[in-house]
Amino acid sequence: MAFQILLNIFLAFIWMFLKAAYDPMTFFVGYFFGLLILFTFRRFFNSRFYLFRIVAVIKLFFIFIRELILSNIAVLKVILKPKLDMKPGIFAMPTELKKDWEITILANLITLTPGTLVIDISPDNKTLYIHAMDIEDAEDAINSIKNSFEKAIMEVSR
Amino acid sequence: MKSNDIILQTITKVTLFVIILFSIHLFFAGHYYPGGGFIGGLMTSGAIVLLLLAYDLKTVAKILPVDFKIVAAVGLLFAVGTGAGSLLFNVPFLTHAFGDMNIPLLGETSLHTATLFDLGVYLVVIGVTMTIIQTIGESE
Repeated sequence: MAFQILLNIFLAFIWMFLKAAYDPMTFFVGYFFGLLILFTFRRFFNSRFYLFRIVAVIKLFFIFIRELILSNIAVLKVILKPKLDMKPGIFAMPTELKKDWEITILANLITLTPGTLVIDISPDNKTLYIHAMDIEDAEDAINSIKNSFEKAIMEVSR
Repeated sequence: MKSNDIILQTITKVTLFVIILFSIHLFFAGHYYPGGGFIGGLMTSGAIVLLLLAYDLKTVAKILPVDFKIVAAVGLLFAVGTGAGSLLFNVPFLTHAFGDMNIPLLGETSLHTATLFDLGVYLVVIGVTMTIIQTIGESE
């Protein structure tokens, strides 16, 4: 990914030298043409075309915003309920993510969306221990949310 | 004996894109400076030939899954289309038009339909050259 971005910036500079015009506009035009060329030859690289990955990052961001709003509303409902009938609990979630930063982002996303909280991560980085505010009706739903987060993170790092 | 082409392949990975960028520069320079669709297309196919030299036909077919005969056909369609487009405005065949347009990001740019004709030439040149080279390369 870094190689592709570096190559694209390099191509933009070559475009500026070819045009003998050193303004930001020429840089952007050169960057655009570099992007087109890189897209045409995207199968040439070992990793994916890097713009797909940037799209995946933006998608992850919007998934996070959506989950944040939805689960805050869910917590609001729990708070405003007259009866306190929720059942808190801790459960383990196996994760397929390997790299350190992926696990960190997943844990932060789980913690920032209310209702769940990451307490600990097993030493071999394979299991996340999560405290859930309402475990009985939520475990399946939460696991599906985890899958969406985990999938979105995998989409970024693939 | 199979030799290790790692240096050639690594250099190709960067040089290829510089050559294609230069060919695009030549293509757009055509109106005011030396250049144009023919030399631009020839240089683009030169870059693909470099790819063919560094790798093999199968790899290139995987990287660029394009039928170059279709590229040539699309190029001809562009050229004929710009020519025939002038008939819609009650002017003779191949009459070109140009105008200044305000494109976001680029600012005031003058657009000329001759560029579309040139794009046709560009695609035909790539298509024909690559078809010739690939056909010769594939025959035993």
